[in-house]
Amino acid sequence: MRSFWPWLPLLMLVQALLTWRRSLGYLRYFQQEGYEAIRFTKWANVRSLTDPAFWAATAAAMLAMWRPFVAATAFMVVGVVLALAQPDPRVSGKIPLRLTWRAVRVLVVSLVLSFALWLAVANTLVRADMQAPLLASAFLLALLPFVMILANLLLTPYEQNVQRRFEADAVRIVKTVKPQIIGITGSYGKSSSKSMLAHILQFDAPTLAATGSINTLMGVTRHIRENLMRGHKFMVVEMGAFKTGSIRRLCELTPPSAGLITAVGDMHLERFGSLDAIVTAKGELAEAIPPGGLLVVNADSPGALKIARKATHCRVLLYGETSSEALATRIEDIRFTKKGTTFTLRTAERAYQCFTPLLGRPIVLNLAGVFTLAIALGVSPDVAVAALRTLRPVSNRLEVVEEKGITWIRDAYNSNQFGFRAALEVAAALPVNRRFLATPGCIELGAQQFDVNRALSREASLVCDNTVVVADTNKEAFIAGHRDAGREARLVTVPNRAEAFRWIRDTIQDGDAVILENDLPDLYERSSGLFWREREQAS
Amino acid sequence: MSTSRQTVAVLFGGRSLEHDVSIVSGLQIVHALDPERFSPLPVYIDQSTRWWIGDSLWTTESFKRGGPDRSKLIEVTVSSGFGTSQLVPVGAVPGLSHPPVHVDCFVPVLHGTFGEDGCVQGVLELGGCAYVGCGVLASALGMNKRVTKVVAQQAGVPVVPWVSTPRAVLDRGSAWLKELPAQVAAALGWPVIVKPCNLGSSAGVSTAANAEELIAGVLKVFEYDTEALIEPFITNRLEINVAVAGLDEPVPSVTEMPVTSQASPLSFSEKYKKQGTKGVGTSEGMASALRILDPDALPLEMRQRAQRYATTVFAALGCEGISRIDFLINADTNQLFFNEINTLPGSLAFYLWSAAPHYWTITELLGRLIDRAERLQAMKRGLQRQPPAELRLLG
Repeated sequence: MRSFWPWLPLLMLVQALLTWRRSLGYLRYFQQEGYEAIRFTKWANVRSLTDPAFWAATAAAMLAMWRPFVAATAFMVVGVVLALAQPDPRVSGKIPLRLTWRAVRVLVVSLVLSFALWLAVANTLVRADMQAPLLASAFLLALLPFVMILANLLLTPYEQNVQRRFEADAVRIVKTVKPQIIGITGSYGKSSSKSMLAHILQFDAPTLAATGSINTLMGVTRHIRENLMRGHKFMVVEMGAFKTGSIRRLCELTPPSAGLITAVGDMHLERFGSLDAIVTAKGELAEAIPPGGLLVVNADSPGALKIARKATHCRVLLYGETSSEALATRIEDIRFTKKGTTFTLRTAERAYQCFTPLLGRPIVLNLAGVFTLAIALGVSPDVAVAALRTLRPVSNRLEVVEEKGITWIRDAYNSNQFGFRAALEVAAALPVNRRFLATPGCIELGAQQFDVNRALSREASLVCDNTVVVADTNKEAFIAGHRDAGREARLVTVPNRAEAFRWIRDTIQDGDAVILENDLPDLYERSSGLFWREREQAS
Repeated sequence: MSTSRQTVAVLFGGRSLEHDVSIVSGLQIVHALDPERFSPLPVYIDQSTRWWIGDSLWTTESFKRGGPDRSKLIEVTVSSGFGTSQLVPVGAVPGLSHPPVHVDCFVPVLHGTFGEDGCVQGVLELGGCAYVGCGVLASALGMNKRVTKVVAQQAGVPVVPWVSTPRAVLDRGSAWLKELPAQVAAALGWPVIVKPCNLGSSAGVSTAANAEELIAGVLKVFEYDTEALIEPFITNRLEINVAVAGLDEPVPSVTEMPVTSQASPLSFSEKYKKQGTKGVGTSEGMASALRILDPDALPLEMRQRAQRYATTVFAALGCEGISRIDFLINADTNQLFFNEINTLPGSLAFYLWSAAPHYWTITELLGRLIDRAERLQAMKRGLQRQPPAELRLLG
């Protein structure tokens, strides 16, 4: 009989606890990445090798060569401590883990696979005595994210089947209710355009639009099944393009009679490879519009304009501010205050003086598109203009909040360079003493990422007294940008958002403004509370 | 556990903007019931109007992060058998599921739509259940600010003038965008206050000093309600409130003055959250909002008049339980106006009863209201419902 046999149940128990906690931790990020193997693999990378539990198991396995029982005891104690010290992802982090049925399925299969893997490794190394279970633990902890991917892969046929049934149900509901569907796509501004259009349309007829940024086949399917009811006359659908064909598929589920293309730019370049590929992907919305249908396009965006030129089968209306095209709606005279934005919308008939409590040039551009579409659908322009006054700022989307003498420009949900510049422009226009910026920069920009962030950094240095760059992702680009402007001293680097908030709290005084720009998902932070608790974060 | 204790079901939550506020109020009541006389049963009504009972409903903690775990709760419904006064599990399997729960008295602590407006009261009437508070008619009347004003005026209580507009104007082109401001300017002048006709709380309330702001305010109302009520905004104004308890006869409480009353109308967050903290989660959320009880800065005569008007309105609407009646004072002219009634005020306005001259605890008051509710329902149940001979057409 081998000496480690009596220890086996205890070691198994500790490993089971660790596997359970760590799996939950990884599952949160797997869920955030939409259970996509490639994106999750990119995130997971060698992250599991930074898990102290992995190193504890490895160290214990080494020690076991000389002191097997000390090693086993030490691993069990450290294992339990580490498992308990890990924050529960179901109640922590910016986006907590939601234990949906799908998440539970992935978790269960993943745990079963983990157990099998552990047993298999321990059994293979059985000659190594006490080292066998400890090495199995180290092995499993290192491979855990990939075990989860495998679990998901095994479940794929089942998930597809479930999804197809849900889709068929959603199609049936859409056919029964027969709402007039308006599709919205673009590289940015989709979600806000969707909610603004729905806001205006609701005063004309019952309108359905999802809150937040539901824009995938799965998300829209679920939204229809839960919310579309008899009596809904309009349905506004945000359509996200994750790859070529995704909008076409969405248009089969919710066939649009009108479409809005907010802008086509180089966001998500990493995913598509080229600007042309993005134009093709977004152009699927235009193709889905039936002959005689309506397409409203932002003429300031060259990519969007390309789509408009190709759409000869339907009625195309253009809007914009700087474009030299003949526009259905042209924006003039934009002004920012802490209360909101005033601007003029000029149509062929007349000029409308507008005010909205929302802020930023991109918002005004989106409003022009939404206005153009709404009046083309028959909404009275006067009602539409009045409705613009009643829009409410969306939290963390260029939202100005005054708190104890400090002006907070919260733009945490923005993630693109245009929104970034818009926030800087608004900050520069507001009457405040000093301006501070906290941001991790922009991501998913492929080869351009460094240059874009460098340029943003340079521009920020001209507006802000200090810029706090969070995490490593774009640190070098920000240093370069501030150097370009000869203002290196204005840049502050911190490892995470908690540190950024601490720095800001220590620095700000009455009359100052703070811009919080593009708070990245947990995925991109240096230390993300995956393995242990972080200190309480402010705000 | 004594078997003689009465089961009192406290209803809270509801399909309303004030869903969360109601949870806080409801749990206050659950914990305030006299444990020697009553066995409380928290009943949570969710946003889709399903009713739930279960052990996790006793603290506000379980309502955070998306609400309580439904899999640990039992969905129930009021038994349709008249007079059975039972909550029965939905889809019950005899012998396997939770048995029906007999309820001696219901205490609706629901604010706003579907709870304060007579809907829930109607369900309870169908089951022949005893319940605390206004009946169907008084609840429905009290929810509609315009109709309440008509009734108050009829009873001789002064009200501020108003203009109202139904949401249906949206279907009649854009002419109203010009006509309504003209009508308001002629009838009321500027500035005005625009509010939803049928909601409690301050959601959708705004002030307007010109036509553009008026239209924006009316559209804001139309997001939530089918009718907008427009009144002159008294710039130099004070607010005082009086609660009335329906005991053997209506008893007025002391008057209170919210200290923010001179500023713009209470916004939703001011009304229900303490400044700087997340007040909705704490049990004293509403009670600790700043107020002055029995403000002696006001003439005694005016305070007494408010109490008199309050009981008049309470009686005219046929209220029961505890209502809070809100008044406006034009500080320039010293005029007192009835403003609105809350037939299910937050925390049942208990802070007004614990002061002079009553010194009633909420526990004591609830006991008396429950006794009265049971007597009233027994009386109603005793009414003849058997058709007399001449109405028996089918033998």
